[in-house]
Amino acid sequence: MKNDFRASLVCTAIMLVVSPFLFSCGGRGASGNPQAAAPPPDLNGIWSAPFTPDISKTLGHQPPFTEYGAARFAKEDEIDDPLTKCLPIGPARGIQAGIMPFQIVETPSVFTILFENQHTFRIIHTDGRSHPKDADPTWFGDSIGKWEGDTLVVDTVGLDDRTWLDTAGHEHSDQLHLLERFQKMDNDNIKWTVTFEDPKYFTEPWSITLPIKRQNTEIMSYSCEENEKDRAHLRRTKK
Amino acid sequence: MKTLSSAVLGFGFFLLSMCTPVFAHHGFAVEFDQNNPLTLSGVVTKMEFENPHIYFYVDVKGKDGKVTNWAFEGGPPNVIYRRGWRKDTLKPGDVVTVKGFRAKDGSHLGACSTVTLADGRQMDAGSGGVSQNSYGAGAADGKK
Repeated sequence: MKNDFRASLVCTAIMLVVSPFLFSCGGRGASGNPQAAAPPPDLNGIWSAPFTPDISKTLGHQPPFTEYGAARFAKEDEIDDPLTKCLPIGPARGIQAGIMPFQIVETPSVFTILFENQHTFRIIHTDGRSHPKDADPTWFGDSIGKWEGDTLVVDTVGLDDRTWLDTAGHEHSDQLHLLERFQKMDNDNIKWTVTFEDPKYFTEPWSITLPIKRQNTEIMSYSCEENEKDRAHLRRTKK
Repeated sequence: MKTLSSAVLGFGFFLLSMCTPVFAHHGFAVEFDQNNPLTLSGVVTKMEFENPHIYFYVDVKGKDGKVTNWAFEGGPPNVIYRRGWRKDTLKPGDVVTVKGFRAKDGSHLGACSTVTLADGRQMDAGSGGVSQNSYGAGAADGKK
């Protein structure tokens, strides 16, 4: 009984000495914690990347088509571009829309991209969540992002196969997996790299990199249907 | 010095705007023929400063005296607003000279590259600037 009492005292003393260290080593989250992680880079603002109507020109060659992908591309005509029907532009093509800029609105839990083109938007969740299982495809898919130093790494799945990757008619399936890296170079420049992975259309993943530059403007109005008069005049570009 | 820098930047933006192809909701080649350039003069009858492209209409008198109302398409209004256009840049009654390309369907429709106003100002209509094939060059970046 006496030994048990002594052992209890020793244990209590050890806990009193050790516990402050245990509770101080938990990383971020504790109030006043000097080791809290640095905030992610601030990318808020209006931005634009070069207009990229033919993604193969940027790549330097055609993407590594599967047989199915090559056959589809040979057949596709600009008249079938979903944008001629005022359908949404899609996540990567929206970045490549050139002189129609986009606005980044960044919060701790979401990284939002507001496209002037068609007034569409992307919501990239940065709160640590995973993709939902078996999500139905949508125009901009499901995007989750995490910061790696100065770079936001964005993973997107669940994409509607009706969007195109460019004006030239590069298509994709609903198995498209996008991996994007938004690397802040300085206050006015982002290096954007996007990797396209789609086993139905491409034999292997392939990537392009474009410079994104800050713009001194505001996002302006856009409504594709407001005064659409072109559809009646469109003609096939292939015989 | 600041004024000079602003002037240089402004001129740089002007030069850039003169050669930047326009992104719109359709490719150039699917509607217009870059091998069929046109230059027409006439009187503006209507201006539509609306999405997804501006449209304006010009009465053009032919050699036989017959007047034809041509429609011209320019860039999206937000894009050319940034290049200095406003909704009243062209008003009914204005005398203009339009350079551009005719529609492939043979209708009295053209893609407008530039408009020269009566006072001599030349406006880039969002389709590529003074070089008539600039709109086409932008489209040529895409698939043919």
